[in-house]
Amino acid sequence: MATVRLVWRDGREATVTATDETLLEAAEHADFSLPFGCRTGACATCTGRLLDGDSTHVRQPRALKQRHRDDGYVLLCIARAKNDSAVEVGVDVHNDLLENPRKGH
Amino acid sequence: MSEQEHTEMEHQHEHTGPGYMTPQAAIERSEPETLAYVVGTHVGTDVDEPDFVAVVDLDPESSNYGEITDRIDLPNRGDELHHFGWNACSSSCHVGGLERRYLIVPGNRSSRIHIVDAQDREHPELVDVIEPETVNELDLSAPHTVHCIGGGTVIISMLGDADGDLPGGFLELDEDLNVNGRWDHQGEIDFNYDFWYQPRHNAMVSSEWAAPKTYQPGFDLDDVEAGNYGHELQFWNWEERTVEQTVDLGEEGLIPLEVRFLHTPEHAHGFVDAALSSNIFRFWKRDGEWHAEKVIDFESRDHEDWDMPVPALPTDILLSMDDRYLFGSNWLHGEVWMYDVSDPANPQYADSISIGGYFGDRQEVQGRELVAGPQMLQLSLDGERLYWTTSLYSSWDDQFFPEEAERGSVMLKADVNPRKGTMTLDEEFLVDFGDLPDGPARAHEIRWPDGDCTSDIWE
Ligand code: FES
Repeated sequence: MATVRLVWRDGREATVTATDETLLEAAEHADFSLPFGCRTGACATCTGRLLDGDSTHVRQPRALKQRHRDDGYVLLCIARAKNDSAVEVGVDVHNDLLENPRKGH
Repeated sequence: MSEQEHTEMEHQHEHTGPGYMTPQAAIERSEPETLAYVVGTHVGTDVDEPDFVAVVDLDPESSNYGEITDRIDLPNRGDELHHFGWNACSSSCHVGGLERRYLIVPGNRSSRIHIVDAQDREHPELVDVIEPETVNELDLSAPHTVHCIGGGTVIISMLGDADGDLPGGFLELDEDLNVNGRWDHQGEIDFNYDFWYQPRHNAMVSSEWAAPKTYQPGFDLDDVEAGNYGHELQFWNWEERTVEQTVDLGEEGLIPLEVRFLHTPEHAHGFVDAALSSNIFRFWKRDGEWHAEKVIDFESRDHEDWDMPVPALPTDILLSMDDRYLFGSNWLHGEVWMYDVSDPANPQYADSISIGGYFGDRQEVQGRELVAGPQMLQLSLDGERLYWTTSLYSSWDDQFFPEEAERGSVMLKADVNPRKGTMTLDEEFLVDFGDLPDGPARAHEIRWPDGDCTSDIWE
């Protein structure tokens, strides 16, 4: 069992416990609503970023490129906490993943 | 008997089912649309609510003109409702007892498929839900285009396998709108997107976006270089369900999206928009072979905020019911255009409206700021009223028009003069999806209850 701190960009924080469920399920069981779409690791809607601790994807995180994984992004719908950890959550995290062809990004 | 007479004989039938006997009958006998169904999404925004199908009042005589008068709320969040369709269209006009009654509304992100009963046109109701697991069991995900294929059965193009990877395929629903299995023989195609069929030619054409794992997270130029986006058209033997011919559109045909055969069932001729290359291609069959060639080319434009020239990104096209005009929307440039395609090999520019997007001459309507370009289009059956919404796909919106998440989409309208080939923006009409009780929503595809220019097919 791991204790996971959820951190939103607007400053909100919450702590949930995760057993052998995914981080998305753990948050839902504690009544915190996080974004999701496919729930299979393909769409990146649920993207979070690991701030502390470790997690492991239970299946291939297809929506993340290697550079994203190297930067600590995780797909909460298929990620399990390996130990006590902290994750940045919320819709804005997904928007970090892709650059715009526009200038000044 | 000539071949044409023979074909006409074969297709003389009783009109006992839904829709109209011919495209011309749709033009002449249809009443002006008084309501539209429009999908609204909250995915990818701060609004923590399910997506919905809005009922929009289009009756200029009504006190609710331009307002959302009802909505079908869905049970789950995260669907990303996108394209949707009917259980029956004019292709079943000879099937007695069948009604154009059920809307099939898939969630592109969730792979969940909703069945809505629209018998009460003003107050449709959700009656069934096909869960993602049922779809994934057939090694399919990410539903896109819905077409009835006659007799009440439906096929849906599916953009990915169960993992959101390639290949895509087609899902078939039976007359009771339960999953019947795969329509295609698995492995006929890799990429998938939109499709249209032309029964008299025993033909279907399908186009190519990308794997869900590629386009769902958002647009990445690296994916273009890596060849993760489609550039081919697949021509099918409709009865055999096999790909008969693949036509590679090449560099100038990157991301071929909406495919439209001419409405007239006699013609083996159509158009497709290559969104990323910003070109329109026509395709046709001659001597048993399919061909394609570029017929419209939209130039990229320089913008001070961009490192590279901004492509037009024509994301949607449609043909007027009389097959005379092709309409389209250049989402990034902010332009709705119409071309006269009486001679499909030589489209002639007719008119355009420059609104929204990065370059639009007008950036507001009724004081409402436009925060994205024109996108999904729908045209009245008589060809006199063109409507459009402004959202493409939540993650792509967030990259190119990030304000749309906070401000929501709008639905706009132009009056079309088909005789003169002109369009005029109707400034009286504005549906603001930014101003809803739960918070702003993005609006996507538009459908009329009794047939429209992007879902009716004739046998
Ligand atoms: S919900 Fe789609 S990747 Fe997690």
